Amino acid sequence: MKYQVNFFVNEEPVELYVDANKTMLTVLREELDLTGAKEGCGAGECGACTVIMDGKPVNACLVLAPELDGKHITTVEGLADRKGNLSPLQEAFIKHAALQCGFCTPGFLMTATALLKENPHPTRDEIKAGISGNLCRCTGYKRIIEAIEDVAAHTEGGERK
Amino acid sequence: MKQFNYLAPKSLPEALAFLAEHGDSAVVFNGGTDVVVRLRDNLIAPEYVIDIKKIPGLDTITFDEKTGLTIGACVTMNEIGANEFVQKYYPYLGKAALSVGSKQVRNRATCIGNIVNASPLADTGTPLLANDAVILAEGPEGKREIPIREFFIFVRKTALKKDEIVTAIRVPYHAGSEGVYTKISRRREVDLSTVCATVVRDGDDWRIAFGSVAPTPLRLVKTEELLRGKKLDGALIEQAAELAKTEVAPIDDVRASKEYRVTIVGLIVKRSLEALAK
Repeated sequence: MKYQVNFFVNEEPVELYVDANKTMLTVLREELDLTGAKEGCGAGECGACTVIMDGKPVNACLVLAPELDGKHITTVEGLADRKGNLSPLQEAFIKHAALQCGFCTPGFLMTATALLKENPHPTRDEIKAGISGNLCRCTGYKRIIEAIEDVAAHTEGGERK
Repeated sequence: MKQFNYLAPKSLPEALAFLAEHGDSAVVFNGGTDVVVRLRDNLIAPEYVIDIKKIPGLDTITFDEKTGLTIGACVTMNEIGANEFVQKYYPYLGKAALSVGSKQVRNRATCIGNIVNASPLADTGTPLLANDAVILAEGPEGKREIPIREFFIFVRKTALKKDEIVTAIRVPYHAGSEGVYTKISRRREVDLSTVCATVVRDGDDWRIAFGSVAPTPLRLVKTEELLRGKKLDGALIEQAAELAKTEVAPIDDVRASKEYRVTIVGLIVKRSLEALAK
């Protein structure tokens, strides 16, 4: 049996018929070709699949596809504006070389975007606590933290002033 | 993940009617942070998954001094941590809720789910147990109140019947009571408790609950009895810590050895009593 879901992804309305035994992550990646969110652990430990659902960061691997009905989802593909200009956070990740293989990067960007919206000027410790649900196995966290600090110092909630 | 039917009833009677018929082959679905993992690993293979998040009225926290704190079934861990009444009257419960998983997990995971899962190391188990919380359940025969001490039966086994849904948990209020929550884990976030505990002081009464040291979260009744009505001093604290170690029955597992856990139990009791003695 398929379940009809109507929801918004990056402000675009979507109507789909989904299987109950699929996750939001599978739907985003396989039905909508939004492959930014990654599956690392599939159990809510690594944060590589983080997306923003109704304003809050969640693990897309732990949301069942039929739950999408009525939700507003932002993925990493929705961070740039319509002209393709990257968000200040994305630019800061590039400037600080806060990535290496890039697998964890979309998850970090989504978690940090949500963090800055909630707390526009976090301390270093608040940043560390804020991103502790995301694992990086190659860059190390130092540059990621520095990129977020940079945006916190120069923007209001991650938005351009 | 095997195939299943997904239902999102819009009222409690609708959900209960469905459970009355299909309770044996259904799993109640809340934040999903545990159930999705168990579905994915085929540890459970229900025919029906019943999402209760569309049922109105289950997503609120209320407080008054007479009733205490009432946490609705669908309130998330982050909502508990941010709640003004929790912060004011039950800060250690807030700390426990915010020690679960990651920020992303806590935006979905619920306290009620944590309790119904009945893991021995449920992070929110001990603050509720130390406050003699009451589980509010509803089934075909109406409402039922289950004291939390009778709720946990064994690892992942509770007193909840297959046709019942937990609608809320009530945490009694004791004016002036204070508590300390401790979680020992290998890392600070996104880890399961090696040992977790809550010690509550309510005047001259002490209530001590431990997790991950027995098949269910556990009250250390002998230690509580030893302390009752007495003035705390160094010798009594040492005595309580030693007695506490005899009341637990931990096992060796991937997170720690039995011996480590027993030692930690004594240490947590000592540190919690010292903190609350001030």
